[in-house]
Amino acid sequence: MAGAAGLGALAAAGGLSACGSQVSISSDPKELVLWYWDRSADPKLLAQAAKEIPGTNGYRLRADVIGGTFDTKLRTSLAGNAFIPDLTFINSNVSLYFPNQDLFLDLNSLGAEKYRELYFDWKWQLGVTPTNRFCFFPLDTGPTGFYYRKDVFDKAKLPSDPESVSEAMKTWDGYIELGQKLKQNVGSFMDITANQIFSQYINASPERYFDKSGKPLYMNSTSTIRDAWDVAVKAIKAGITGNQQNGTDQNAAWTTGKTAGHIEAVWWAQILADTAPDTKGKWRLASQPVRAGNSGGSFVCVPHTSKNPEAAFKFITWLNNPQNQAQAFNNMQLFPSAKDSFTSGTMKSNSGFFGDQDPLDFFLKAAEQVPTSFISTYETQAQYFGTEITNVESGGKNPDQAWNDAVNQTNRTLRKRGIDV
Amino acid sequence: MTITNPAVTPATVTQSATPGRNKPNPIKRFWPQYVSIAPFYILFLVFGLFPLVFSIWLSFNDWDGMGSMNFVGLAQYRFLITDPRFWNAVGNTFIIWFISTIPMLFLALVIAFLLHQNIRFKGFYRVAFFLPNVTSMVAMAIVFGSVFSDSFGVINSALQALGAAQIPWLSSPWGIKITIACMVIWRWTGYNSIIYLAGLQAISTELYESARVDGANGWNIFSRITVPLLRPVILFTVITSTIGGLSLFTEPQVLLGDSGGPGEAGMTIVLYQYNQAFTQFDFGYGSAIAWALFIIAVIFAIINWRLVSEREVGGQKVFKVRRQRKEVAE
Repeated sequence: MAGAAGLGALAAAGGLSACGSQVSISSDPKELVLWYWDRSADPKLLAQAAKEIPGTNGYRLRADVIGGTFDTKLRTSLAGNAFIPDLTFINSNVSLYFPNQDLFLDLNSLGAEKYRELYFDWKWQLGVTPTNRFCFFPLDTGPTGFYYRKDVFDKAKLPSDPESVSEAMKTWDGYIELGQKLKQNVGSFMDITANQIFSQYINASPERYFDKSGKPLYMNSTSTIRDAWDVAVKAIKAGITGNQQNGTDQNAAWTTGKTAGHIEAVWWAQILADTAPDTKGKWRLASQPVRAGNSGGSFVCVPHTSKNPEAAFKFITWLNNPQNQAQAFNNMQLFPSAKDSFTSGTMKSNSGFFGDQDPLDFFLKAAEQVPTSFISTYETQAQYFGTEITNVESGGKNPDQAWNDAVNQTNRTLRKRGIDV
Repeated sequence: MTITNPAVTPATVTQSATPGRNKPNPIKRFWPQYVSIAPFYILFLVFGLFPLVFSIWLSFNDWDGMGSMNFVGLAQYRFLITDPRFWNAVGNTFIIWFISTIPMLFLALVIAFLLHQNIRFKGFYRVAFFLPNVTSMVAMAIVFGSVFSDSFGVINSALQALGAAQIPWLSSPWGIKITIACMVIWRWTGYNSIIYLAGLQAISTELYESARVDGANGWNIFSRITVPLLRPVILFTVITSTIGGLSLFTEPQVLLGDSGGPGEAGMTIVLYQYNQAFTQFDFGYGSAIAWALFIIAVIFAIINWRLVSEREVGGQKVFKVRRQRKEVAE
């Protein structure tokens, strides 16, 4: 016992003494360390960069998969100023890093501006901080659409080809009306939960919870949040949402056709194919009401301690050039942010799951429609809206009461974090 | 023991017999002993005491985990006292603790009592009842998720087959709490019954035999002999279950996620602390919640301590029962 504990102490002491000196993870001056998570990059490209990052004169990449709580691990190493990767991926929640943007390099200082035209503008804008520093470079994106079960729509004697469905739900009122018919005729739902409708409404809007100066917008009676809320409440009252709050119910609902629709991003096709393989060929894609949005998609950035920012930036632009993004799509279903990927002719459309419909074609059109928006760091404090819409759906809470509770709770939390409301 | 003994004797010798002589430096003299106990203290300092003190400091600050800390004094605690979500979490924790611990301990006692009888395949049953305790929690959450699932779960299908109404186990406030309580009961009943079994084996078989001679039935033996004599063991399991219940985290987290499910009905104190610290990156508030939980735990420790002090009364009760039995026998 004592022996084992002694060894532990020695190991701990050894680790601690190393903490003080080493800022980067690798002491090899030619080795850049990248942190990413499983399935967020094409392993073939990473393997190529492990030999040499193209155009860097011998710099090599060591890519470390970080599992579990990625943000916590990254933040811990940044806070401790030790063992920081030379490059790191960050998920769609980049705005969480805006208050500490100084810890990342402004990629414009490395010449990012001249690559700007290559990417969807709305995606590029999401990586720009409120003080106009461009710290987060586009990786993949998540344009959204309405997934639906053609067979269930047929059974409900509703128009079931993508054009007619898109046409019937050009507006949210049309969507709800269609949902009511679906519910009446076969008892199926248009989406799993009201919260899903609420968040995808926001994901497809140019305006969100806050403006770029940090001023809250949700309290305005004409705000996007209020509109999204009203649509979600209307959907609940019409009975077209499934109140399927847990994964088991959702998966079963998609397999059985109890839920015949879902508004979600392009990456959801893979999840659906994995969890409900028997429904292959029965799904189609239609345009969601008003316009497409973006859900998910990640970024890559360079911490201020990076060993060689130029080499790191070379890797970023190489990894994300249109050809490589097209390859990453073919291998890992990472939907490109580079517009030329689609015209390169190398992208393989993975159809079959959507019958004769080409999902690649569909989501490219969706990606072109996504509005430019600003995601504020304070949005993590605005989670109560989603919580409260669920309370309305599953607990039958009075919608007005729920809205007031959401606003009050959000304001209280913001004030606690020192934000004027 | 052999290490501490020589450490005590020379110290007393120098103090009493030869007060004028230079005291030998204890560190120099006993350094092997100090080195051999050092690992625990070093590990405790690094991983125990430092985080403890740091979390007190954190609870007076606003910190997102990587930027600069901002001293806010008692603001986190003031917010906590008026935070409906915190009080909801406190209420949930106690309700779940209550509806899981009482049936669990009762079941465990009954199982232990049955296992203590002369039955076949004793060893098999003991292992079988202990198995849930070592089952992976994530696998368990998947199973429970399917069993209690609202529209496709096994239980609701059974209810429907019987013509009863379906219960929204995972989307209604009470459904969620009962489901979590069931997970706790499933996991910890076997563990507690093994402890009870150990306690039972310490009770003299003579007592049982004489009771049987006196014509006592199973229930009489259980309620008049087993339970009173197991009192200290029961108290121990109550205390450990209280600690476990107050720090309930994994079950609701794997079943419902970081938000505690619809209506935050499965949000426990520790889950709320985790939610604030690691999904909201509000470490100051997370620390304040941790210290509030500490205060609640202290209150319960005092209550438990009082229960322990009243053991005298309990002892008399046992004694009284025995005496009554003796009188009857006479």
